[in-house]
Amino acid sequence: MTHSNNVEPRNPIELSGSFEERSRALFHDSVESVDFATRSHLTQARHAAVEAAAASRRRAWFSRLGFLTPAAGVTAAAVLGVFLWMGSPLGHHAATVADGQPNLEDLEIVASSDEGSGDAMDMLQDDIEFYDWADKAANSGPATRG
Amino acid sequence: MSGFDTLNVAWMVRDGPAAAREEAVLEYTRELEKFLAEIERRAFRMAQVALRDPDDALDVVQDAMLKLARNYAARPSAEWRPLFYRILENGIRDLQRRRSVRKRFMTWLPGAKEDPDNEAQDPLENVADAAPAIPETLMQGQAMEQLEVSLRALPARQREAFMLRNFEGMDVAETATAMGCSEGSVKTHYSRAVHTLRQQLTEAW
Repeated sequence: MTHSNNVEPRNPIELSGSFEERSRALFHDSVESVDFATRSHLTQARHAAVEAAAASRRRAWFSRLGFLTPAAGVTAAAVLGVFLWMGSPLGHHAATVADGQPNLEDLEIVASSDEGSGDAMDMLQDDIEFYDWADKAANSGPATRG
Repeated sequence: MSGFDTLNVAWMVRDGPAAAREEAVLEYTRELEKFLAEIERRAFRMAQVALRDPDDALDVVQDAMLKLARNYAARPSAEWRPLFYRILENGIRDLQRRRSVRKRFMTWLPGAKEDPDNEAQDPLENVADAAPAIPETLMQGQAMEQLEVSLRALPARQREAFMLRNFEGMDVAETATAMGCSEGSVKTHYSRAVHTLRQQLTEAW
């Protein structure tokens, strides 16, 4: 608002130009004279609103990651599966077989069986005869089968 | 890749987006706070002009701030001002409607003819008394009081158009967005408001 050098107070309406300018100036003067209690309340309200906006924004950010959840779950399950496989006795077993080393424990079990060793030898003999027959049958072709 | 490297990558993956996210949230809240700090007192005075009661005006402004922050703060900041004033004006209208219903209800009750909202409130009570009441300040207070009375007498849409265009300094397009009407309607409401106010206040001023 324009202030004159005249000491005598003048009507503020006369100090500026158009009606709109005058009313705007009056309004802004009244805004400046809002009391401190109200200003304090407005500040508190503003802080509450900003807090609410920040919380809302964080929630929105997390919800935007929602589409990644299935892919992340599958990946985590795959990684866990690999770790479990590598750390389990089964995994070690597979590794030894892959290395081509004989599994001596199984052989020991067969060899150390005392009971019925004669039957075992008979079964072994039968197996040899069977393998011999199967070999001949395979070489003679389909006409001699049966 | 060693276990240490794996762990490092894992922390980077975890901390990178989190830090960026926090920075984005901080930047955004700073911008919102700046916007609200800039308009809050004008919004309060506009609500007070419409509602008369400073407590009601404070409530309406507070609600408008919260609604803007919760529902529309993700919008571009250029849209905040018209959106905020639209929410504010809806709040003012809701409150006026509730008052009107309450007033109608009160008239039906025996012995409750007096509505507290009808009691004439002295606008000078709302004028800050920090500065000494020199005659010029008093004249300004009286002129503003007359302006407020005339604004309250206007139809709601005219008052809204006048305050948004003249007090808040919005252009026609922004005012139309805030009022939810066409630009032509804004021009009509505004010119009618100015015409009526000029007629009433030129004599009083």
